[in-house]
Amino acid sequence: MATVNDPLQKESTDEQAGQEKPHQRYVLEETGFNEVPKKYRKFYRRFGGEGDSLAPNEVQCPVCMVIVRSSRNLRQGDRVYCMPCFSRLVVVMVNDRLEAHPVY
Amino acid sequence: MSNFLSAYSIQTWLESCPQGYLMDTEYGHAPGEEEPDAFLDNDVLREDAIRTTTQLVLGERCALAASSGLINCAPDYASKHFLATQTLDEARHVEIFTQRLYDLGIKDDDLESTLQQYGNPNLVKFAEVLLEKVDKGDFVAGVVGQNIVLEGMAFSVFEMLQAISQTSNTKLAHILSGTIADERRHVGFGENRIGALITQYPNRKPEIEQMQKDMTYHMLATFADSFSDRAETLEESRRILGSGESDGGAAVWHGADLSVAEPEEMEKVLADTVLKEFKVRLGRIGLEYQSPPKPKAA
Repeated sequence: MATVNDPLQKESTDEQAGQEKPHQRYVLEETGFNEVPKKYRKFYRRFGGEGDSLAPNEVQCPVCMVIVRSSRNLRQGDRVYCMPCFSRLVVVMVNDRLEAHPVY
Repeated sequence: MSNFLSAYSIQTWLESCPQGYLMDTEYGHAPGEEEPDAFLDNDVLREDAIRTTTQLVLGERCALAASSGLINCAPDYASKHFLATQTLDEARHVEIFTQRLYDLGIKDDDLESTLQQYGNPNLVKFAEVLLEKVDKGDFVAGVVGQNIVLEGMAFSVFEMLQAISQTSNTKLAHILSGTIADERRHVGFGENRIGALITQYPNRKPEIEQMQKDMTYHMLATFADSFSDRAETLEESRRILGSGESDGGAAVWHGADLSVAEPEEMEKVLADTVLKEFKVRLGRIGLEYQSPPKPKAA
């Protein structure tokens, strides 16, 4: 499982993700993001605008545009939480790119 | 559902906002930061800053009235708690933008007459449409109007003003940075709470969509007014602040270089951005965006 406090709240199964590769781990460092309680801050960063490419462990929240970061790479079907705007998101593959869609 | 609503706690708000990005700020900016001299010494720039800030104060007063009014008609305590924090956010916004008017030289006794003089009548009508729903105790329509339409507009307006201010007025850019962080929570509450509620009240959709259409009309009319007859003011502003040439990307916002853009282009990029956001956000919660007739500048 992902680390405690990680926004990745429920991992997809290999079948949902359509792949069997093991998850890759990422060491997260502070990004200067200060819009959530301290212990959660390294899991988020501000979007840098056009040209800001996302890492395999990142996905953009479509509600508040903040980048959500996990300590593991994200896969289709993963459930993540965007704390800055309280949105529950599901990771989906669109045009070979991972996107997050809100779940109400 | 219980987990979703339990996120709306006062404790989370305390740790995120006053103990987070507002820590060590005064009226939303770093202590000691002041309005640039150009905004105080040049009559054209000063009046333009007062006019813009007046719209922000009026918009935030509407948001304060709406968020506080919605507390009593919220159907659950988690929503009441969230709206209580939003009420304080909005009161803070009213205060910091009012303080900016004082910093620009407006006297306390002249505050209301200044707001009356520079306030855009279309923005007042925009607020009236929303507050009518709130006064009736209509929680679903009130949250759509407040947290999706009004906050969605504010989100884009603040981002655009921040892009413009980044190099010319760091005090204002810092103030806006905090308000944008607040808006993230507000639009998030609007989408998540109403996204969950609207499926229970599908019969409300036509009425809510009409409210969105009316509010959008008055918003676009406000933008049209704000950017009409602005060419000379913009030219003077760029002459004094030393801009008027592309700054290499610092003020590029949604593809438009705001350091050289004409007023018509600025109005178009702002309106297009807000409307695109409306369509996407409303669509996600099951509402269909309604296009209003094209307004004309007053």
